[in-house]
Amino acid sequence: MSLLPAQDAGLLLPELGLGQPGSSPTRRRHTARDGPLVPRSQFVGPYSPLPGPAIVGVRVMGMLGFDGATKRFGALTALDRCTFAVRPGRLTGFLGPNGAGKTTAMRAVFGLVELDVGTVRWRGAPVRAADRTRFGYMPEERGLYPRMRVRDQLVYLGQLCGRGPKDVARSVDTWLERFGLAGRAADRLDALSHGNQQRVQLIAALVGEPDLLVLDEPFSGLDPIAMGAMGELLSGLSAEGATVLFSSHQLDLVQDLCQDVVIIEHGRIVLAGDLSELRAKVPERLVEVRYRGPAPDWSRLAPGAVVQQAEDGQARLRVGGDTDVAALLAVTRDRADLVSFSYQPPTLSELFRQAVAA
Amino acid sequence: MNGLRQGWLVARRELRERSRSPAFRASVVLMIVAVVAVLILPVLIKPGGTRNVGVTGSAPAALAATIVQQARAAGTTVEVHRYPTLTAGERAVRQGHLDVLVADAQRLEWRGKPDDQLKAVVTGAIQLATVRDRADAAGISRGALAALLAPVPVTSVQLGSVPGHGPGDETAVLIMTAVLFFGISVFGQMALTGVLEEKASRVVEVLLARIPPRTLLAGKITGIGLLGLAQIGVTALAALVAVAVVPAIDVPAVRGAVLAWALVWFVLGYALYATVYGALGSLGSRVEDAQSVAGPVMVVIVLAYFASFAMIGQPGSVAAKVISYFPLTAPMAMPGRIAMGATAWWEPAAAAVLTVATIAGLVHLAGRIYTSSILHTGPALSLRDVWRRRTASAGAIEASAHDAEVRRQPVDVTARESTEMTGTDLATHRVLITILAGAGVVLGAAVAVFAHDVIIGVAAGAGFTAVAMQMVKLWTRHTGPPAAHR
Repeated sequence: MSLLPAQDAGLLLPELGLGQPGSSPTRRRHTARDGPLVPRSQFVGPYSPLPGPAIVGVRVMGMLGFDGATKRFGALTALDRCTFAVRPGRLTGFLGPNGAGKTTAMRAVFGLVELDVGTVRWRGAPVRAADRTRFGYMPEERGLYPRMRVRDQLVYLGQLCGRGPKDVARSVDTWLERFGLAGRAADRLDALSHGNQQRVQLIAALVGEPDLLVLDEPFSGLDPIAMGAMGELLSGLSAEGATVLFSSHQLDLVQDLCQDVVIIEHGRIVLAGDLSELRAKVPERLVEVRYRGPAPDWSRLAPGAVVQQAEDGQARLRVGGDTDVAALLAVTRDRADLVSFSYQPPTLSELFRQAVAA
Repeated sequence: MNGLRQGWLVARRELRERSRSPAFRASVVLMIVAVVAVLILPVLIKPGGTRNVGVTGSAPAALAATIVQQARAAGTTVEVHRYPTLTAGERAVRQGHLDVLVADAQRLEWRGKPDDQLKAVVTGAIQLATVRDRADAAGISRGALAALLAPVPVTSVQLGSVPGHGPGDETAVLIMTAVLFFGISVFGQMALTGVLEEKASRVVEVLLARIPPRTLLAGKITGIGLLGLAQIGVTALAALVAVAVVPAIDVPAVRGAVLAWALVWFVLGYALYATVYGALGSLGSRVEDAQSVAGPVMVVIVLAYFASFAMIGQPGSVAAKVISYFPLTAPMAMPGRIAMGATAWWEPAAAAVLTVATIAGLVHLAGRIYTSSILHTGPALSLRDVWRRRTASAGAIEASAHDAEVRRQPVDVTARESTEMTGTDLATHRVLITILAGAGVVLGAAVAVFAHDVIIGVAAGAGFTAVAMQMVKLWTRHTGPPAAHR
């Protein structure tokens, strides 16, 4: 059972014919003699209209779009015709194994990586330097000036976004207050604890009051409480209308937080779109059962049921998406002394594993 | 939001943060102390006050009076002390009570090195007193003796190497050239470490997401340059104050126009070398890489300094003309020629235009190097790596962006290729080094024949070879054993 090919999912553009569902999943090594992966002309021209009225509205408010983004480093293809969109007002999780191309894609937004083919668009037009002053970025490799005072460097970074010094100072003070760092404003950064340095790094991304926030693994290295706070912050920002893209390996967290996900593997977008739609579209469901007493033969519970796990009073099975839930519950109750019963679309972890393994 | 404003923000940050650092403040204070000390110490050390001369054993009767007389004529005052025994006199010398002891009117005893002036005074006095004694014995009248011994005035003039410019001018030019060398190399290296620090702390990615790499580099160089000018200005001000307060300080007169040109050449020289340093700084990954990356440039700067230094005495020679036009040496060589009055009015301007054009070219090149290597992490890059990456033809290199993700994976084979030498590479490399060494020898020999001077020939040959080797090193980074990999 394979998942839908990327083109059919949510926001992708079938008319560009960018994905290659049938092609081998292993990374092909290109040499210089191969020439560009895709003829350049294919990506020239106006941004291909995304289907659906919602998208039109989105474009007015601000939206980030990758349009056939391709980047090769020598023989290695880091981004292979990536096409997806990040919408405002929704948190977008950017997922993929290490080395899949997440950082490269995020760097491309800021011009830190020059694309070989394709463009990154903001509100429909290729990103310009002026747009970037309205973007906030937290790179995967954190870094600020270790010997510069916290407030000074945040004001400096804010001013680099083109805002006036007073305006920036006010915003910096507000953020420092909010993160409980107001008392450390005059300290050198390297005098702060690791956790506080992380907070300063986050403020550095936020201080320009960006319309677009790109965060490379913002949750890595955080304790559970800080993770919760970070999640709330990101949800809050996106609810205020910001466009937020962040990468993460914590799939449960992404499932809880994000409305949209983009999954990349070997430089290719393998899945992208509304998370609940993506989950709903998968033609199978997960049934989780807790029970007391002896275990029944789970595989005969429903036609086509596959037992994933069965031990110590709990079982997890996969059934078809068209299963009658009420009937299934009734049958289960007959066979076992039921404690709990859940019937759900597959989790994001499941989706991710299947998409990446495909 | 324009680039100029962002560039200025970067420059202002450099100025503020660096001027705040204790290390910089200490260096400013040290510079001032050193310069003022150099100015004032000679005044303090200058022989002055009363000198003490001891006399023991047999001596002409008038010796003491003659010594005092002679000293007065030479512009110093001397007090003469009589010692009953040689031992007592020598003890006084050893204890520092006496500057010199005259034993039996035929031996001068010093504690250390003889003081030439005092020696001349005392020796002259002994001669004079003895001649008088002998004249008396021979019955020559005092009047006849005075006529015989009437002094013949002899004056001495210091010509220096160039007509119209004395050795004082040469000293001034020497100092000026040294200050230029010092300023250009110190502040140039500051640009290098500044770039490396930003790279090592990874703050550069945050910055580059907001401003273009060239703006960042230009702002940084401008900020550090302004800081350098400020430090030199403060030091010069301290020197002026010292000169005003202590009138005895002997300062070679330097014309205002020369100082103005020196300032212009400092700015040009700094801009040139800081641009190169800044670009090379982006090749390294850690602050420790600074030395290996800076080495080649340092060699060039030192050679340029030595060449300028050596040519101060012959500002009109062909060699001096060549180095005062060649952009890499001009900032240190041209001010000296201007100060020695060896240039036509248009020459400094022409050389400045040439240097500015070179700087423009270097800025372009440096921007490319900086842009393509600033986000690279891992072992230091060579210029060849950067070149390959720009042309993107050879697949040997992975770029920065991907390094971060790929480093953790076993896919990293390609990255290793770029820094370990294969057999053929090593062979080519050896051949190249041999050719360069040979070329150095040939060049040295040619210069020696042309200049009729073996030393200049050897220097030219060695200089060429050193620079060429450093360039090869920068290009391939392969002269040493293969670097350890992280």
